[in-house]
Amino acid sequence: MSEPYVEEYTVAGRDFSAIGEASIQFKATMKMLGIPSDITRRASIVAYESEMNLVLHAGGGTIRLIVYTDKLEVWAIDRGPGIADIELAMQEGYSTATDEIRELGFGAGMGLPNIKRHSDDMHLDSEVGKGTVLSATIFFKKE
Amino acid sequence: MAGGVRVQEVRCRGCANCIKSCPTEAMRVLTGCVHIIPDLCIDCGECIRKCKEKAIILNEDEWELLRSQEKVVLIADPCFYVQIGSYGSPFLMKEALHATQMEDILDCEALAFDVAAYAIARHIEAEKSERLPFISTYCPAVIRLIQINFPELISRLIPIESPLESSVVLWREVTGRKDDLTLISPCPAKTTLVRNPVGRELSSIAYTVSVRRVVHDILAGSPKISGEGTHKMNDRWLKWSITGGESRHISSFSRRPLRTVAVSGMRNTIDLLAELELGRLGGVDYVECRACDLGCIGGVGTHESRFLSRLRIDAMKVDWSVTDDEKENIEKWYKKGIWKLDQTIQPKQRLPLSNDLGEAMAKLKEMNAIYADLPHIDCGSCGRPSCRAMAEDIVRGKGEMTDCIFKLRERIHDLSKEISQLSGKVPHAFGS
Repeated sequence: MSEPYVEEYTVAGRDFSAIGEASIQFKATMKMLGIPSDITRRASIVAYESEMNLVLHAGGGTIRLIVYTDKLEVWAIDRGPGIADIELAMQEGYSTATDEIRELGFGAGMGLPNIKRHSDDMHLDSEVGKGTVLSATIFFKKE
Repeated sequence: MAGGVRVQEVRCRGCANCIKSCPTEAMRVLTGCVHIIPDLCIDCGECIRKCKEKAIILNEDEWELLRSQEKVVLIADPCFYVQIGSYGSPFLMKEALHATQMEDILDCEALAFDVAAYAIARHIEAEKSERLPFISTYCPAVIRLIQINFPELISRLIPIESPLESSVVLWREVTGRKDDLTLISPCPAKTTLVRNPVGRELSSIAYTVSVRRVVHDILAGSPKISGEGTHKMNDRWLKWSITGGESRHISSFSRRPLRTVAVSGMRNTIDLLAELELGRLGGVDYVECRACDLGCIGGVGTHESRFLSRLRIDAMKVDWSVTDDEKENIEKWYKKGIWKLDQTIQPKQRLPLSNDLGEAMAKLKEMNAIYADLPHIDCGSCGRPSCRAMAEDIVRGKGEMTDCIFKLRERIHDLSKEISQLSGKVPHAFGS
């Protein structure tokens, strides 16, 4: 088993114009590794939505791509305000986004549900006042 | 397979100005001459625009040879018909061609473009809204760009054959003629449409020559024309040669108002596709991208200023309303299926660093380490478009660190220090 490949990207908070940069970089990496395009597409969406959460809600953070020989993981780690009710946050259409963010066309409450839909496994750990750790896994071959 | 772009090696000075203009990083300068990586070239023609030495040219067929034949039957790109100011309508151009022993298939083309626009409108209507927008397949460079750089968008390409191809099919059926046809092409991408088509096995067109070549031929003879053969005909299809013309044409066949986005030029095209890939274009029905500025009139193989061409097309009074007779004819050909794309367009995956994922991961780590050591100024002196491309070439075994002039200078500096140290050493025999 070879060592996993890890790539990290630091996302600045509230820098709306930078949303998408990490997922573009990850996409280039996945192409270089020869990961099939449907997996790449799903992972890009997961990375993009995670990036968006870091920018909109968490005041920035770190987004990480880990590639194993049989799966890949996207991690989003922040020291933001945390999520008070994870179950509620997972509901489609629920969002704590401010009016200002909504005016920019974000904050539709689809981020987390989208991440769940496009990954095979998803974990969300959060503590109010401390931060949030999200990890999403996509397997290369479905059992 | 020969593409639409050709390098004249004797003219290339190896200046490397072109390599950064390439949107897929398909160019390298090795041993003083530029080389194109065929699998990555999308035939957009950006490098032709950039080359000051005219070393990179459109790869067209031998016009003199084609002209020496008894009869030349041409299928002209719509932009051809606005190239000469004094022959300001398609019919005058047709007559000018005729006066110089050439023949076009104007009427069949107008109909085939109508059929294509009609077919696209039907496709959009039949698709679920979450699977929209469709992307136009008219610009062959855009198809190839998507195959290589945006494989995730492949399923959005509309499966409609280029009306340039279906015009020929239609013409053969209407006239029963079997002559070889020559495409008057404004760009390398449409040249490749003939040589190496996407979505079908073989092109229905045999040869291809640039718009500029044919226009120069006409201008050289400057034939006097009367304008006699002129009859009423729709000019809708000519609008396909400017940005938004295709979308406008499709809208005229749509039963509901369409939300379309039309852009031209490589930068706009890439930005738009990137946004589409990130899912930012919700609510849009159709996306029209053209690799050249202002549309096909901006192709590198055209004769006229793209600004004047634009002026002429804008000045045309186009009747967008389709008469009942026209509609009947369009539907007849639609039912015959001449607009169908034979094969599904497949993505062209960039070659991974290795076919084994574990090995590719190791190589990517190595590549990142090499990249970290490079100057990151993308100067192009190594013959690659960027330091990252250089790092990639090195791990693929197609280059070495000293190809970088900064690394080479460091090596020379270290070596000279070593030499100077060595020169200070005193042999034992002279002892101190």
